[in-house]
Amino acid sequence: MRGFFLFLFTGVLFALLQSSVLPLFFSPNWRPNLILILILYLGLSENLSRALIAGLLLGAIQDSFCGATLGLYLSVYLIIILLTRLLSDQLNVESPPLLLLLIAGGTLLQNFLVGFYLTIFAATAPVLHILLAAIPQQLMANMLSASILLTLLLRFQRLFGYRSGLAGLMYQSKLHGS
Amino acid sequence: MREFLGRYRFLLLAVILLLGTVLLYSYNLRQKTATTFFERAVLTFAAPFQSGIDDIVDAVTSTWKNYLWLVDARQRNIELGKENLELRAQLQQVEEISLQNERLRKLLAFVDELDRSALPAQVIGEDGSNWARTIIIDKGTRSGLRTGFPVVASSGVVGRVIKTAPDSSRVLLVSDASSAIAALIQRTRTRGVARGQGEDLSIEYALRDTDIQVGDLLVTSGMGGVFPKGLPLGLIESVTKDQFGLFQQVTATPTVDFSHLEEVMVIVGEDR
Repeated sequence: MRGFFLFLFTGVLFALLQSSVLPLFFSPNWRPNLILILILYLGLSENLSRALIAGLLLGAIQDSFCGATLGLYLSVYLIIILLTRLLSDQLNVESPPLLLLLIAGGTLLQNFLVGFYLTIFAATAPVLHILLAAIPQQLMANMLSASILLTLLLRFQRLFGYRSGLAGLMYQSKLHGS
Repeated sequence: MREFLGRYRFLLLAVILLLGTVLLYSYNLRQKTATTFFERAVLTFAAPFQSGIDDIVDAVTSTWKNYLWLVDARQRNIELGKENLELRAQLQQVEEISLQNERLRKLLAFVDELDRSALPAQVIGEDGSNWARTIIIDKGTRSGLRTGFPVVASSGVVGRVIKTAPDSSRVLLVSDASSAIAALIQRTRTRGVARGQGEDLSIEYALRDTDIQVGDLLVTSGMGGVFPKGLPLGLIESVTKDQFGLFQQVTATPTVDFSHLEEVMVIVGEDR
């Protein structure tokens, strides 16, 4: 349960960072989507019911912190979590490069879904132009941020001990064979 | 039946949740002007944090500029002195033109539609996504703000209020893809619809035969009832006429620099 609230707290913190601090340093295209990284990590590390509830709440928070109508990110993150769960059984998620590849895939999928929903439901086709133009920068920004966050996570894992609630990486490799 | 439910539990859960979120999104799209309880709660919760972060950034920037980074202060002081003299001369000219304009307005019985009361507000946050263009301001329903109120800056139109909380509001910028404003070219009075393209504006429905040139000023037409007539929206950046087609393709750069927006004015009053 503590891990669940930690995810929510981190999500709110990321949302505040994305709306108040990052705009001071980065243009919209170069601003990483930290909540997406959290959602992917959530999909890999928590059990399905917790991941779904936390994912839906984070989606609602993201909807409230950006210009989207409530429900857009809720739906997009739900799909991303479900697909991540399906994929996580097939992949070696302890591999950091693979996690970064997942982040890249998640970024592309999120852009596709946001574009799809906005075009089909909200009839704001010009958003496709904005989304497509921003994809290369978004990919780089998200992957770089994910690398930094993973490095920080490994440091924190060392400080607070290796919990089974936190996903893969060092936890798995350290305990294997011991 | 139980066996069926057990076997396809994951799939059923996924479909139900997905349908639920899509229905919620679709329902909220129809209730565009309403701010949901959840959104109001998040805006209310976030406003003090965003305001605090804004104050900290201002304090750090101010300390840096005023006390630490004074390398070219003297040179800048001299330049500003010169600029001040030039501006005073220009101001006198503007005042003269303004008086002349006022006389002409009376003669032509024009109504000064911009003569409305306005409320100053500070920008305390930006959009949490990379594709939507919105900002958060530090005034809300407690100050009398409602959804739909136009927001302007000294250089032109900023956008309109779309969500409100007691002490903060979200403003949809004119550059957002879902923003469309009735506009006209000031010089030729050519009508069109200014739609946001992220950074620029595209002018839709501008007839092919009409005269639009690069550098022309785009202003609000006053149609639609949200924005007063004659507010600057953008400067025409490019004009393309295809061989066929009814309309020409026109893009404009917004007059407001959204990346450096700090204070805005919300037009709250009715026409006087």
